[in-house]
Amino acid sequence: MRKELFALTVVFLIFVAFPASLWGYQAWRTNAGDTRVIALTANAPATGGWVPDTIRVNVGERVRLRISSPDVAHGFEVPTLGIRVDEILPGHVEEIEFTATRAGRFPFACTRWCSVDHWRMRGTILVVDPANPNPPLPTFAPPLYQQLKVDIDAMHPTQNTPTQKPSAARGALLGIAIADDLRMKSPSDVFTKLRADAMLRSYTDLQLWDATALAWKRTAGDTALARGQKLYARDCAACHGESGQGDGPAGRNLPGMRAMDATMRKGPADFTDAAQMLGASDVLLQGKLLRGGMGTGMPEWRSLYTDEEMWNVISFLRSFVFDYP
Amino acid sequence: MTDTRLDLTRIPIIKKILASRWLQWSLVAGTLPFFVLAILTGLFGTPAGNRNFGIVFVWIVWWGLLMLVMVPFAGRFWCAVCPIPAPGEWLQRRSLVQVHERGKLFTLGLKWPRQLNNIWLQSAAFLIVALFAKVILTTPFVSAVTVLIFAGIAIATSLLFERRTFCRYICPVGGFIGLYSQVAPIEVRVKDHALCATHHDKACYIGSEKGYGCPWLIFPATLDKNTNCGLCTECLKTCTLDNIALSVRPFGKDLLTNKGRRLDEAYRSLMMLAGAPLYTIVFLGPWAEIKEAAYAIASPGWWLYALGLLALTLVVVPGIFFACVALSKFIARTKASSRQFFVEYATALLPLGLGAWASFSLSFVLVNISYAWQVISDPFGWGWNLFGTANWQWTPYLAGWQAYMQIPILLIGLVAAIAIAFRTTGEQRGSSQAALPIVAFCVAFTLVMVGLNF
Ligand code: SF4
Ligand code: SF4
Repeated sequence: MRKELFALTVVFLIFVAFPASLWGYQAWRTNAGDTRVIALTANAPATGGWVPDTIRVNVGERVRLRISSPDVAHGFEVPTLGIRVDEILPGHVEEIEFTATRAGRFPFACTRWCSVDHWRMRGTILVVDPANPNPPLPTFAPPLYQQLKVDIDAMHPTQNTPTQKPSAARGALLGIAIADDLRMKSPSDVFTKLRADAMLRSYTDLQLWDATALAWKRTAGDTALARGQKLYARDCAACHGESGQGDGPAGRNLPGMRAMDATMRKGPADFTDAAQMLGASDVLLQGKLLRGGMGTGMPEWRSLYTDEEMWNVISFLRSFVFDYP
Repeated sequence: MTDTRLDLTRIPIIKKILASRWLQWSLVAGTLPFFVLAILTGLFGTPAGNRNFGIVFVWIVWWGLLMLVMVPFAGRFWCAVCPIPAPGEWLQRRSLVQVHERGKLFTLGLKWPRQLNNIWLQSAAFLIVALFAKVILTTPFVSAVTVLIFAGIAIATSLLFERRTFCRYICPVGGFIGLYSQVAPIEVRVKDHALCATHHDKACYIGSEKGYGCPWLIFPATLDKNTNCGLCTECLKTCTLDNIALSVRPFGKDLLTNKGRRLDEAYRSLMMLAGAPLYTIVFLGPWAEIKEAAYAIASPGWWLYALGLLALTLVVVPGIFFACVALSKFIARTKASSRQFFVEYATALLPLGLGAWASFSLSFVLVNISYAWQVISDPFGWGWNLFGTANWQWTPYLAGWQAYMQIPILLIGLVAAIAIAFRTTGEQRGSSQAALPIVAFCVAFTLVMVGLNF
């Protein structure tokens, strides 16, 4: 009988104590120390996206996010808190610790093209100050396109298009000075103004376009262009295509502007379309980036990009119609 | 014929171990934690198969051990340590180690229907698993549920039917381990048949105070093949005359006789034969469409795949083999029935099939076994790192060498198959050319396997 009891005890341990110890270990790992562990699952958007998609933490609280992915590789970034994990491989668990020092809403997003709906994969970290749990909502100045009443949904093609791609390098040889604030104006506006200038009568149209291209490149600067290119590759290229033609793999089934106007192009905007791009001011492009596409499939980037990042991307977009060496 | 066996019970320490009632319990107690962990990780761990202990241990480690070590070298040894029927058996016996009231069992003790007294049901269970294999083998939850279902059926059958009915007639794995275990160099047999003939209490079948009657429904005195003996060592304890031996013997000894060959087993060896190249294609082949079809259950592609799999295993391969058999019958001009020809020549397919499965398993295991390091440290995929190996990278082992190891395995199987084919013609007293169609079949099959692996 004692033998039987021993054998039974061992089997009992295997069936009950062994599993209990596994869960015990996991609970200990989660609760040990004064760091709060929060599990975050990165599902592809079609199967639920971030779970949970809202994470509440307190100001000053030490938090460890334990991020895992059940399906494909994802990335994680909270731009406004400056934390990120570049790669969360399926079945791996990535951990990242942070302490939020100020209250607010901090959007996070997947940074890998994990699926067609990748851009929907967003969430928010809600940082609450326990002493002041309901602070007044911060007020923001309305974005430029609203201040200037630019209709970002209106078409903006220009009649003036250059016969070949304007080149900043050729423009540099001309010595034409442009004093305008380029953010507010479209390249076509600037060209028209130059063309109307009697002093510049001896220059050909193309030369004036070259000068315009140079002006845009100078205003942007090389650092901004490089940063813009990186962001474009990470966030835009999947839909708008590597070459900007609106032919990225993830953009194939998007309605595009046709969602608003039946006569319009289907799918993502083509940044190599000179008439549209030269007719658009930076402010207008910023509006589109900020707000997103109202059913066209274009996500909003306001919550993830800083102002500067937004301008960087816009500067880079110009390189699809301007030849920047 | 000189006896080429080595009776292990003559070695005192082994004899003592085999006679111990603790033996089987300890073996199962050793595998049970792995089983429990595999189920728990399958149910609650990461859905990423290659990071889940359940998937990696069951379908890579266990499968590899089974097909590369246990079956070829120890036959049904797995069945001696298998945890699946253990709870049911413990319930039946109402004890884990000791013998309960002269081996009386707690069960309704129903008799298994005579019509199912064969391995057709096991073959069907195997085919069903095979149809969904791509999903079962890669999705932890489904995998765990499948294993749980089998464990549940095992318990239920234990309570309803006598002894290990589940293992004998239902377990999808048991069917082919049994067939291939005939190749293994190990056997349980009575030492002296004459002694059995005069011994009327038949303790080995009925039970004694030392042990239970054969759980596998075998009368050990009649054992001449490994097929249905689960190596549980019960009869070695039970036999009151100490007339049963566990022996080491030459490989493939059971294949030397065609006595008692059966149609269900012959057909099963053909199904298994067809399975090896199929699995090579679905799990290792470069054809993404087939892999996707196998995964996308109930999609049109999957139906096509399922139909193809069934046709190949049930009709095409057996059909081709049958044509070869018909040809050899024609050449042999003997009176033996086609059925007898079919059933007897199918014996040749056992080493051929085992070679093919071992070869497939070898490359499958070498490609995937490095996942084992990760899941040992992080069985659930919860971010643990128990042994510091959680972040070891996946690397296929011996990548350039696999084919060179597979070919000898396939060749050994082929040579044994050819030898058996010729021996069978000899037994049937036909001309030895009659074996040629069967030989051609075996050679063609081996070429297909080689082609798929290179
Ligand atoms: S027949 Fe199946 S369930 Fe029974 S012991 Fe063998 S593998 Fe396990
Ligand atoms: S013959 Fe003996 S060892 Fe084999 S299954 Fe029966 S009792 Fe167990």
